[in-house]
Amino acid sequence: MSGPIIQIKDVKKRFGRVEALRGVSLDVSEGEVVVVVGPSGSGKTTLLRCMNRLEEYEEGTIVVDGMTLDSTNTINAIRCEIGIVFQSFNLFAHLTALENLMLAQRTVRKRSREEAAKVARALLAKVGIPEKAEAHPAQLSGGQQQRIAIARALAMNPKIMLFDEPTSALDPEMIKEVLDVMATLAKEGMTMVVVSHEMGFARAAADRVIFMDEGLIVEQATPSDFFEKPREERTRLFLSKILHL
Amino acid sequence: MEERNKNARPRELSFVVGGEVSIRQDPWWWLVVAVAAIIVLLVILWPVPFREIVLFARDGILVTILVTVTSYVLIIVVGLLGGLGRISKNKLIRGIASLYVEVVRGIPLLVQLIAWYFASPVIIHKLGLWLNSQPLIEYRANPIFTAILAITVCYGAYMSEIVRSGIQSVPKGQMEAARSLGMTHFQAMRYVVLPQAFRVILPPMGNEFISLLKDSSLVSVVAVADLTRRGREFMSAHFNPIETWFMVALLYLVMTIVAARVVSYIEKRSKYERY
Repeated sequence: MSGPIIQIKDVKKRFGRVEALRGVSLDVSEGEVVVVVGPSGSGKTTLLRCMNRLEEYEEGTIVVDGMTLDSTNTINAIRCEIGIVFQSFNLFAHLTALENLMLAQRTVRKRSREEAAKVARALLAKVGIPEKAEAHPAQLSGGQQQRIAIARALAMNPKIMLFDEPTSALDPEMIKEVLDVMATLAKEGMTMVVVSHEMGFARAAADRVIFMDEGLIVEQATPSDFFEKPREERTRLFLSKILHL
Repeated sequence: MEERNKNARPRELSFVVGGEVSIRQDPWWWLVVAVAAIIVLLVILWPVPFREIVLFARDGILVTILVTVTSYVLIIVVGLLGGLGRISKNKLIRGIASLYVEVVRGIPLLVQLIAWYFASPVIIHKLGLWLNSQPLIEYRANPIFTAILAITVCYGAYMSEIVRSGIQSVPKGQMEAARSLGMTHFQAMRYVVLPQAFRVILPPMGNEFISLLKDSSLVSVVAVADLTRRGREFMSAHFNPIETWFMVALLYLVMTIVAARVVSYIEKRSKYERY
């Protein structure tokens, strides 16, 4: 595969009168970890959701893994290759952790029950909670639920992982366990796009940090450049607001 | 895998089937016992007329149960289709489903029953003449069939609303998560949304069954020999309205309170992991 695995060109999207995205272009290479930061309402979550067409966009093009996201017939095929982790976990509430990991493997990847269970157990071990295989989501802490949600996405063997503020709904003491799993994934070479307020994670794991504001990409740089010598005034303002805490 | 098969599946199964039903957990079962005991005592102590009433109305009880259970199964099918139609993205399907629900809910069940019974044969007869089809011309209303049809159409509308509310009670994120894993809309509905909606709507579905059991007495006006109609026939023949209707009421009561206990039991079981 040549060229970037995600190619976003001049994408625009509006919700009624609000322009959520005002022409965003972004390329992500295979194995790259991109962290998107910005104030709320800056369009970062919308951009992420456009990458697997949970949101439709009006103008521009998004090409993922060589497939253009526009005709409805290929969307399920593309989505298999893109795992997404939500802020609110969205584990299937009526299924156990193991069944959560197995369902899409069985119905979409058409794996046998034995194979799906084997993959699921291996991933539960990878995210550090093999003993919770039979637990239902309501019996688990937020951190455990989010780690299972990551494992559920990984079970499809995606080429890309999208994270939509994965730690924003967590109690402070659970954030690290989720970030650790994500850092491991980054180290293993997974292509990742992460919308997050975790500057520590951005500094440690990102190859590139992107700052969005008012539906536009304002600045992008390596983490060290981004945090040490931001070029744009708006970036400096944003960083000064969040970093002094 | 072994421990999963042992633990998870049977629990799921017993949750639907009902497991053991214990009088210790639900004292209202004593009411069932009391009503049943009264019926048995009356039949033993005063065989005339109570034993005669029960024997006379025996087939009527079976007809009542037949009409109720058959309609209920069909109502669930109609309700599922209607409920999915009400939230369909397709405007035509949504329009048809909404029109069906709004129109049918606004007409009394008794009127619908009578209309289906008396009007549908005339319409089918006319249709037969127009199409020149002999079986349609000779069509005569089958009371039980027409009654089940009318009840299904009417209750199907209410059930559609129950199903719709159940589906809408499942958080949107569940559908999004399923779709983002590559599942089709149908798969996401089938494996993720409907199983969760089902737990929410079990209690109202059970209540519909109890209402249906009682409303099935309306079919007696369209020549279906159900419990109510058999009661009326017995009263006309023996001129003892007090004993007849006392016994008929007791027979309905014992059926409805058994159904109510089962509904309450299922409701309790379905609470075990509400989130």
